[in-house]
Amino acid sequence: MTSRSSRLEALGAYLPPTVQTTAELVAQVSGTQEFDLQRITGVAERRVHDPRPEAGEDSYGLALRAARDCLGNSRYEAADLDVVISASITRFQDGDRFAFEPSFARQLAAELGARSAIHFDVSNACAGMLTGVYLLDRLIRAGVARNGLVVSGEQATKVARTAAAEITDSYDPQFASLSVGDSAAAVILDESVDEADRIHYVEMMTCAEYSHLCLGMPSDRTEGIALYTDNKQMHKRDRLRLWPTFHGDVLAKQGRTFADEEFDYIVQHQVGTRFVEFVNRTGEEVFGTGMPRSLSVVERFGNTATTSHFLVLREHLKAGTARPGGKFLLVPAASGVVAGALSATISTMGV
Amino acid sequence: MGAVIAAASLALPRPADAIATTVQLAGRAAHDCLTGTGLSPDSVGVLINVGVYRESNTFEPALAAMVQKEAGINLDYLADAVPSAGFSFDLMNGACGVLNAVQVAQALLDTGSTDRVLVTAADVHPGGRAADDPAYPYEDLGGALLLERSTDPGAGFGPVHLRSGPGPTGTSGYLDTAAMGAGGRQLITVEQDADRAGKLLDLAAATVAEYTEEHGLDPERTMVVCSRPTPDFATLLAGRLGLDPASVLAAGLPGSDPERSGEPHTAAPVLGYLTALDGGLPHAYEELLFVTVGAGPSAACASYRLTGR
Repeated sequence: MTSRSSRLEALGAYLPPTVQTTAELVAQVSGTQEFDLQRITGVAERRVHDPRPEAGEDSYGLALRAARDCLGNSRYEAADLDVVISASITRFQDGDRFAFEPSFARQLAAELGARSAIHFDVSNACAGMLTGVYLLDRLIRAGVARNGLVVSGEQATKVARTAAAEITDSYDPQFASLSVGDSAAAVILDESVDEADRIHYVEMMTCAEYSHLCLGMPSDRTEGIALYTDNKQMHKRDRLRLWPTFHGDVLAKQGRTFADEEFDYIVQHQVGTRFVEFVNRTGEEVFGTGMPRSLSVVERFGNTATTSHFLVLREHLKAGTARPGGKFLLVPAASGVVAGALSATISTMGV
Repeated sequence: MGAVIAAASLALPRPADAIATTVQLAGRAAHDCLTGTGLSPDSVGVLINVGVYRESNTFEPALAAMVQKEAGINLDYLADAVPSAGFSFDLMNGACGVLNAVQVAQALLDTGSTDRVLVTAADVHPGGRAADDPAYPYEDLGGALLLERSTDPGAGFGPVHLRSGPGPTGTSGYLDTAAMGAGGRQLITVEQDADRAGKLLDLAAATVAEYTEEHGLDPERTMVVCSRPTPDFATLLAGRLGLDPASVLAAGLPGSDPERSGEPHTAAPVLGYLTALDGGLPHAYEELLFVTVGAGPSAACASYRLTGR
């Protein structure tokens, strides 16, 4: 066993400049428009990729820009990186090619100049970036790597376009696809030398009994990729209890409680404003204590899938609405069903 | 270090299966691994699926989560009387996924994150039958390796090396979503450059030579177990490295015509490991050297010291 730990060293992001309002998206829905999408999801607008090849805003291009932004905020050069992990769910490259091999990580490492880096992709639905961070944390703690980059670019609105063409009502399994937005984020981890910058723990689990509740694949009705979610089951009370129950058990093994953790901020996966409220309320019930201040960006960017927690961190740290030196709790929620907790104190991370 | 293979298993589509799926092949291989060791499925803390090609081109959730369900591993944390957590995810890096997963598993075991890691490697044509698509180069095949800490400090995997070769990617596998119509669940394109085999040979040979020198492996006592991008790859690699051809193995599918069968993709190291042991590995060999090479181009290499030799 080792006593090493890792820290979040730098953060970067790229958001396509094109803004689409929820009203503009709903106007594209070919079936019924008799639902108030903004009221249901809390999403007012989202960013959408520019489909022209020269814009370079496919998943791979978005990821590359976020990685470069992150390196610009880091003490490291690309050539210093020991690991590159890519976590995109939507794997678009060269425009409309949904790519399976070679890995995005292999190509990003080469294009960035991290030529000798360990490279691989992870795919774990919306928990992908946090899964990458979990693995990089373990590689650093085990002494296999000194540092590394976790990056993800998402053309998530490709599923929104299919949903707009296919859904019939708000109970449609593709309804949740209307809440997504495009983005990219990247984070660099290295070894922590100071408690003021440390990942205290990152623990994840998959409750596989419910792995069938949200499925992404090409549509068999129109030309596009689609996401089919059993919203009622996916967001059922029991699913929402997974995080606090699992997190509480992890803490109990160390003789601690949630209140002992004294988190300053909590960042839930950005599914929608109501979802964030429900999960925080469930946390309060299970832990029997108040939640720390909940940070969000879902109103402006929608559900950005793998990048959501890191966009929240970046936006709030940049805006000064989250304080450096604070203790942050990041809570994944993803198809699989994946739950977990990342606890980190963040003081000098470049943003 | 000291991660050992506690069990290994392969799964091929059965004649009665209408279509092959990752979930079915990986699930079956995982189940066989666990049954063989007598371990409870819940003893698996982390499941890593490294397959690249999957049923219906599914991109969410991780297929690993569905394999976890199929294999009955830690199904419902809230419903279980004694909750134990399993964590699953897909790791994709072309042909090198299994060795990437071994490297990750070593870190998970070293840091006490789990006691057991199950690696599944299953590739299927998205339409369910590789044989029906002559342009698709891979076999429908699944494999599983159950990894745990070794009680013998000298046994098990050595460090994993991952190397990138120069130039174009050599292989690209993708779904062209602009030309798929409503049939995207059944379609896949795999393009392989004409000069790919030679470049993969260069990269594999350089990676093996570097590894052998850095870790002081004895070529006389090491069996090289490598990917099979072409049927003659083992012979060519042995020639390039000046090794006895009998000490380099690139296994084809059991029972298939070795000149005609498709490539075993991510499961190749599992197939190679089982083929080497089933062939009654001569006692002179005390170590295996796993070598994988493919799209990127990327190559990975890791030694494996056998127990009791």
